[in-house]
Amino acid sequence: MLRYIARKAVGWFLMIVVATNLTYFLANAFLKPASNYTALRPPRTPAEINHSLALYNLNPDKPIIDRWWHWISGIVTHFDWGQSPTGGSVNDQVAYRIFVSGQLVLASTILAIVIGVGLGVYTASRQYKAADRVWQGLSVLSFNTPSAVASLAVVLVAIALNQSLGSTLLPVAGAQSPDVAGFWAVLGSRATHAILPTISLTFISYAGYHLLQRSLLLDNINSDYVRTARSKGLTRKQAIYRHGLRTSIIPVATQVAFAMPALFTGAVITETVFAWHGMGEYFTKTISTNDVHGVVAVAAFGALMTAIGAILADLVIVALDPRIRVS
Amino acid sequence: MAINMPGVGPDAEGLSPAAAPAEDPAKAARGGGRTSPLKLYARRFARNKAALLGLVLFALLVFFSVFGRFLTHWNFTEADFTALTVSPGVSGHLLGTNAAGNDVYAQLVHGLGRSLVIAVTVSLLTTAIAGLFGTTAAYFGGKVERAMLGFVHFLLILPSFLIIALVGTHYRGEWQVLVVVLTLFGWMLTARVIWSLATSLREREYVMAARFMGVSPMRTIVRHLVPNIGSLLIVTFTLGVASTVQAETALSFIGFGVKQPDVSLGSMLADGQNTLSTAPWLFYLPAALVVLLTVAMALIGDGLRDALDPTSQSGGRA
Repeated sequence: MLRYIARKAVGWFLMIVVATNLTYFLANAFLKPASNYTALRPPRTPAEINHSLALYNLNPDKPIIDRWWHWISGIVTHFDWGQSPTGGSVNDQVAYRIFVSGQLVLASTILAIVIGVGLGVYTASRQYKAADRVWQGLSVLSFNTPSAVASLAVVLVAIALNQSLGSTLLPVAGAQSPDVAGFWAVLGSRATHAILPTISLTFISYAGYHLLQRSLLLDNINSDYVRTARSKGLTRKQAIYRHGLRTSIIPVATQVAFAMPALFTGAVITETVFAWHGMGEYFTKTISTNDVHGVVAVAAFGALMTAIGAILADLVIVALDPRIRVS
Repeated sequence: MAINMPGVGPDAEGLSPAAAPAEDPAKAARGGGRTSPLKLYARRFARNKAALLGLVLFALLVFFSVFGRFLTHWNFTEADFTALTVSPGVSGHLLGTNAAGNDVYAQLVHGLGRSLVIAVTVSLLTTAIAGLFGTTAAYFGGKVERAMLGFVHFLLILPSFLIIALVGTHYRGEWQVLVVVLTLFGWMLTARVIWSLATSLREREYVMAARFMGVSPMRTIVRHLVPNIGSLLIVTFTLGVASTVQAETALSFIGFGVKQPDVSLGSMLADGQNTLSTAPWLFYLPAALVVLLTVAMALIGDGLRDALDPTSQSGGRA
């Protein structure tokens, strides 16, 4: 089992390395770090700008291969992801942003899977009845709602709710209140701030699991082995959960890994709307400030999330599918 | 049932399935009036009420984006400094203005058109590339197939949204560039699906026959393989429009897609974000249009899938 995971992890690690390096060259080709200095007063000469950029390994006059070697050896030897064009360390930024985003993405992934699969089973066992049609319609709507619309709609509803209650029950901006102190107070503040972003991310991602699980379960809800289970004396519910669901949930598990990039894109929008300082906000910030090293770190983070999702999906499949033997 | 038997008209429906093959198709065609495939598809499509609703919605949206500008004398780039952020209906602005004094109605018409043009072009191009790439890989098999699939997998692990944003922002949000990058990074998943379906076509008799007759590979692919996955391509195209609208909206919303002075639904949403409680119409008008557009395309795609699939039961018989 451990060898299986290790082999998978090595494969994914190589893919992350390739994606990250390619992003490094693309980012160097398309971003112009010098533009951070052109607006300064008094104006700097190009030579001065290049001199400042050279401090952060961003000098455009130095050959790209040399710059790449400096960058990659920094990461390999002491895990230093470089500096922004104005000198801020990428590591410092990423270190706290990863937890902000990770909490958001993880919570909404788990919620989306539980709600999606649950709804899939519920509606598949009531095919073409009123409940099935209502949920189906809602899921088609949410599956096709752009994340910007979903997030802003959630904000609009929350504002209306807060105004009608006359108090700030659900805060719509930031990851926590700036003036709280103490462990429990901070935890409570973080939790209330996380409710709305998690709702909007879950809303756009649960429908994919629901629609997939429903159609997969319908494919084998009437198959022989489910009928055999029924004739052995299991209730309909037991037969569906223990036999029907077990086979049809496997493709859904694979789907989780491939849904990760879309979820990360959703997180970019959600964090922008709710003013969270996570990796998603870092994504927009680094591109608009021509921060080459920051952009590459964001790409590496995205690839890492996909890899973790894929390995977790593999583990779930191994646990569920008796045909797969790994040891 | 009857869809696999050309010439069996609607009046032959009462025939039991066992008796139907015994009938001479040519005779039935002369007697009963043959239903053309197109008519049959249209009839199956029309049975699906949701799909019909989607089609009507889509037609209305296209109509609005083409002819909507004749209802106002404002241009979408023009700023009315006497009316900043006025609500709908005030001082001659049908749907109000935004903070810069641009007429929201004129912007909506232009933004919807812009989003539609981008989505339809990208979806057409990705479907064409994916169809050709997938069938070519399946036709050749062996080493060529493995190399082509490896290329697709490689592109799939790249952080495509980030690269699109990088390139898009480099070219200052020109929509033609957006079309190119969205196409370049949008065709891979579809190509993989098409490849897996086309592998079964490779072994079919008509493909074999073409190969042994010495028909060139390219000609076999274009004339025999691609038409046989045509229904899949049509469905892919419709769903592709919906997903491209979503991608374009996301990009423009965070400022890496369509930019000032050009307007798309995504950039209008970004405008509305800052005045959510003081000028909510700046948010809900573009939001309503973009959701109507994507949902309409999804409904049409579902309806087409059922109408074009001969084994589907959801469209009823025939």
